[in-house]
Amino acid sequence: MGPKTPQIVALGGGGFSMERDGSLLDDYVLSLTDAARPRVCFLPTASGDADHYVVRFYRRFSPSCDASHVSLFRRDQGTGAVEEDLAAHLLGQDVIYVGGGNVVSMLGAWRAHGLDEILRQAWRKGVVLCGPSAGSLCWFEEALSAFHGDPRAVRGMGLLPYSNCVHYDAEPQRRAEYHSLIAGGMRAGFAVEDRVALHFRRTRLKRVVSSRPGAYAYRVQATADGVRERRLRADYLGDSEDASGGPTAERAPGHGRRRARAARRMIVPAQTAAPRPAGA
Amino acid sequence: MNAAEAPATERLLLAMGGGGFTMEPTNPLLDDFVLGLARCREPRILFLPTASGDEAAQINAFRARFADRTCVAEHLSLFRLRDARRPLEQVVLAQDIVYVGGGSMRNLLAIWRAHALDELLLTAWRQGTVLAGLSAGAMCWFQGGVTTSSGPPEPIEGLALLEGSLTVHADGEPERLPLWLAGVRDGTLPGGWALDDGVGLLFRGRRLERVVSSRPGAAAVRVDAIAGELVRHRIEPELLGEERAGGLGGVDEAVQELRRVHRLRRGTAGGRG
Repeated sequence: MGPKTPQIVALGGGGFSMERDGSLLDDYVLSLTDAARPRVCFLPTASGDADHYVVRFYRRFSPSCDASHVSLFRRDQGTGAVEEDLAAHLLGQDVIYVGGGNVVSMLGAWRAHGLDEILRQAWRKGVVLCGPSAGSLCWFEEALSAFHGDPRAVRGMGLLPYSNCVHYDAEPQRRAEYHSLIAGGMRAGFAVEDRVALHFRRTRLKRVVSSRPGAYAYRVQATADGVRERRLRADYLGDSEDASGGPTAERAPGHGRRRARAARRMIVPAQTAAPRPAGA
Repeated sequence: MNAAEAPATERLLLAMGGGGFTMEPTNPLLDDFVLGLARCREPRILFLPTASGDEAAQINAFRARFADRTCVAEHLSLFRLRDARRPLEQVVLAQDIVYVGGGSMRNLLAIWRAHALDELLLTAWRQGTVLAGLSAGAMCWFQGGVTTSSGPPEPIEGLALLEGSLTVHADGEPERLPLWLAGVRDGTLPGGWALDDGVGLLFRGRRLERVVSSRPGAAAVRVDAIAGELVRHRIEPELLGEERAGGLGGVDEAVQELRRVHRLRRGTAGGRG
C-alpha cells in the first residue's frame, strides 16, 4: 500500500460530544479510513481531560472501533488512558479525535509533552485528524479564540495555511468579530457553523459536509474593498426525508459510510455576500 | 491596571507540601491560615485548578471549604468558562489571595505560559496579592521541583520566584524523595525543602518567615549539598490551631512557656486531657 494522503476533518461544532445523534459527522470521519475496525484515539486535553467527555467518547466509538484515549492530566493514575510510548500509539491510529475546550490551554499542554510534533507526524503519515471547536482550530495557522476577554487571533499548529472560526452561527457577534480580525490582518480562512465540517486533503479543501440541512461554511478573506465572505454549501449527510424543507435536501441521496465515500461532490460556491466594512 | 508595587515585606507566599481543602476535607487549619494572611477582613480568593485540568472534585472542595467563610471565593477555569469573557488580567489582579491547586506541574506551567498567566501572577504577587498553593501549586514558585506529570517522578524547572527547590508529599508519596535528594546532591536541583503533607512554608518577600503545619508530627526538612554531601536539617513546624484548642488564642509564646513551668511545678504537666 502506498503512502496515505494527509487528511483533516475540522468540525465547526458537532460530533458525538455536541449532538444527541452525533453519528453522521463521526461516521463521515470513519468512512475516510480503510479499516474494518478503525483505531480511534481521543485527545480530551482542551477540556482538561473531563471525565464525562471521555465516557461519551467510548460510548460512541468503542462498539465499532478500537477506541483509546490519551490523558495529559491523569497520567499514571490508572484511568485506562494510554501510558506507554505516546508517539508509537498515536502514529498507529487510523483516526485521532481531538475534543473541544480551550485551544490555547490545549496547545500549551501539547507542546509541554511533545504532542504537537507527534500529531504533525501522524498527519503526514495519513492518520486522519479531526475534532470540533478547539479540535478544529488547532490545525490551522491562525484561529479566533473567544476565551477570556475580547476575541483574538491565536496561533495554531499551522498544518492548514488558513485561519479558522468555529460556532459561526452560535453567537450573534462571531461574524463581526471574525471579519474584524480578518480586516486587521488575520489570514484568509474558513468560518464554520455548528454541525458542519471541512474535509481537507493535504491542505486543500475537498468537501464540506453537514449533519444538519441548510448549514454552511464560509470562505472569508480581506479584499481591497473590505472583507469578502463567500458561502460554501455543505453536503447534508443524512436521509433526505430527515431534511424535509432543507435547502440541500434534494442533494442528499443517502447516508452512512458507503454513501459518504461514494458521494464525491465538489464544493459549490454559493452567492457572494456583500463586502462588509472592516471592524463592523 | 497600574496598582503600585507592594514593598517586599508585604509579599506573602505559602507553599504547602500537601493539605488544605483538596486533601484535608475535615481539617480547615491551613486554609484558615491562608485567609488570615490577607490584609483585609473579607478577602477575595481565587482558586486556580489548572494543574488538575479543572477537576470538578477540586472545584467542589474549594467551594465547600470557602463558601461559608468570610471571603469572596471564585475559581478561574482555563478550560471551560467560554462564556466568562473577562480578561485574565481583570480577574487575577483583583484578588487578595490566589490559591493554586495540585496536579500536573508540567501542564500547569505550560498552560500558564500559553496564557501569559505566569507573568500575571508574578505581577499580582508584587502588588501584594497573597499566593498560596499545594503540591504542583507550591513547587511551581521555586527554581525546581519533582513532578510525576509523565508518570515516574522527574526533576522539573519552576518559575524561580523563590530560591531553591521544593519537593512535596514527603511522607505521603515517598517515591519522590530519593529522586529529589539525588538531584540536590548532583546539582541538577538547587538545595531546598522537602515538605510532609500538611506542612506550609510562609515566605515574606523571598525570605522564609514561618513553617506551619495542620498535622502533629509532620515536618519540613532543609537539604543542601555541601562539598558533594547532603546536609539535612529538620524543621519542626508550628502546629496550627494549637493555641485555639488550648483556649490560649493570642497568648505570647513567653507567657505560654511561663504557664508550662507553673504547671510543671504543680505537677500537672502530664495530666492534660
